[in-house]
Amino acid sequence: MIRWRRFFADRQNWLGLIIVGLFIIAAVTAPWLAPQPDDGEPSPFKVVGQRLDRAPNPPSAEHPLGTVPQINLLPRFGIAPGQDASYQWDVYHTLIWGTRSALRFGIVVTLVTAAVGVLVGAVSGYAGGAVNGLMMRMTDAFLVFPPIAAVWLFNRLLFTRVLAPFVELPELSWWENVLYQLEIDPVMLALIAFSWMPYARIINANVSWLKQEEYVLAARSIGAAGPRILFRHLLPNAITPAVVLAARDVGGLVILATAFIFIGIGGNVAWGILLVGARDYIIGIGGNPLSHWWVFLPVSLALTLFGIGWNLLGDGLNTVLNPRARR
Amino acid sequence: MVPFLKFLIRRLLSIPVTLFFITVVLYGVAMLAPPEERAMLYWPPRTRLNLPPEQFEAKLNSIIRQQGLNDPFPVQYGRWITNLLRGDWGWSPTFNADVLDLLLARTPVTAELTLYSVLLLIPLGLISGVVAGWRPNRPVDNWFRLSAFVATSIPPFILGLALLSIFYVGLRWFPAGRTGITELSLRTVTTFKTYTGLLTVDGLLNGRLDVTKDALRHLVLPVFTLSLAHWATLARVTRASMIEERHKDYVTAARSRGLLRRSVVWRHAFRNALLPALTSSALSAASLITGVFIIEVIFSFKGLSELIIRGSQNTIDTGLALGFAVYSVLMVLPIMFALDVIKALVDPRIREGEIES
Repeated sequence: MIRWRRFFADRQNWLGLIIVGLFIIAAVTAPWLAPQPDDGEPSPFKVVGQRLDRAPNPPSAEHPLGTVPQINLLPRFGIAPGQDASYQWDVYHTLIWGTRSALRFGIVVTLVTAAVGVLVGAVSGYAGGAVNGLMMRMTDAFLVFPPIAAVWLFNRLLFTRVLAPFVELPELSWWENVLYQLEIDPVMLALIAFSWMPYARIINANVSWLKQEEYVLAARSIGAAGPRILFRHLLPNAITPAVVLAARDVGGLVILATAFIFIGIGGNVAWGILLVGARDYIIGIGGNPLSHWWVFLPVSLALTLFGIGWNLLGDGLNTVLNPRARR
Repeated sequence: MVPFLKFLIRRLLSIPVTLFFITVVLYGVAMLAPPEERAMLYWPPRTRLNLPPEQFEAKLNSIIRQQGLNDPFPVQYGRWITNLLRGDWGWSPTFNADVLDLLLARTPVTAELTLYSVLLLIPLGLISGVVAGWRPNRPVDNWFRLSAFVATSIPPFILGLALLSIFYVGLRWFPAGRTGITELSLRTVTTFKTYTGLLTVDGLLNGRLDVTKDALRHLVLPVFTLSLAHWATLARVTRASMIEERHKDYVTAARSRGLLRRSVVWRHAFRNALLPALTSSALSAASLITGVFIIEVIFSFKGLSELIIRGSQNTIDTGLALGFAVYSVLMVLPIMFALDVIKALVDPRIREGEIES
């Protein structure tokens, strides 16, 4: 446990923990911090007053961080075809409730990616030989694929009926139903499909190196089966770099997803959708960058802090878990 | 030299294998979609899309029959890949143009942005990483760590927007878009010949220094935004591996022989520290291309990303989506190949095939 004492001795790690902790607290206490309107189902967006000119309302007592023009015709996963609404969204409400969608997105994608990558890397590393060669060639092939192309492709091919404005459930095939029921969006699927490779490579290298150790031989000599050796003996020793990678990934993936939403190719992180609504007012009007600061500054800061928090956590874990990184 | 040639050939041969694998997976994913979706891939050129529903359906069905879209996977894949190799990448109803033409026409814009960013970030990343890593925990290193931390923390697209509001709208130092010279963006001039498509190079070749200067001014903000995050990643890896190398025996030996410090750092330690840095660059090559597309949209460079933005909005454009996917893989492959070759040049073990790159 001396490692953890070292972890908590560093102020940087505390900062990371506090930032991530604040986001988690905000997500958990969202119903109290920003109460939902009584009617309607819970949503990260609160529709407030109308304006004919679509201009965002400045902060007021009622809306502490002002409002942003709503995006009309919002399909289930947040692509914004037209922006001709006159309703407004409360920024503060989305800021608080957005932590839920950001955490959900980041953690789900990271966990699935890490699981896939670790599994591929561990199995191929343990099998060795031709299987290993083939699996690693496959991993390398995935590495040349930019995720942004995958988002478009998945969107086009797999989600045409799932993301239609009026979904008819009986028409969906079984996998479309899965995508619909689990609320998986193209960005999520693309990021899962194309960010597991670093995990696979690093676990593979570790496992192929560790399997020559004597304790593996000892385990085998008392008749332990292959899977048992792999998952009980090798993996616990090989997994630490994947933990570090995962902690850093949570923030990075959410930021990437927000960028995808912002440039308009879909995705479902509430902060990003709010930024899409604010798009016309982000670059200041009349030469003053801060003329409508409330439409982008709170959300951008939240997003940046989100990234910093997970990054700090990852760095902290790295210095603790990775003996070579000690300064 | 012979082992190096062997390495080159082996590496070149692995490119078609990678491509084969990727295209099989791509078309496998595409096969999950109903045949009506894939029929759009074979939509005949210069045909209207907004037909009345019954005609549209009849047309789709005839395409499905003609192209055999209910055939088994290998047959369909074979047909698709032969078409790709023949240069028939399909027709895009959104742009009313040939998919391959669309992609090729926009490549120089993206290539110019990528090229300048890579040329800036790789030397800077390596140098700053080496300088910081050779003397860790000194003031230089502390400054480096702080700035690398800031650089990795700011999301690139938010940084781009901030730079635009400050330097474009606020101070009016740098413009947005790709070129401010209207005659070029309208393409009505006949005196300005296009050789490479890169405005900076073409300006020089045409003797139009104003074009080059203007293009460079437009490149400053996007190149800075793009390089910053990737610079930090590269520099951090270089720093970490420098720290590891500097205590190794060969470095001590080189220093005890009384070699110049510059020579110890750059000719001994740096060469060994370079390998992890190159590996990390190879790992992030695809994400660099993704970043390029995002930054292009933010700074309204009408490069390849324009195809995503317009193509993914409303229309059914499967051909363009698949073509774009294949093409962006083709953009990443040369970067990976170059990095592998550099790695082999640096490390004899790789070029002699003793260890996997």
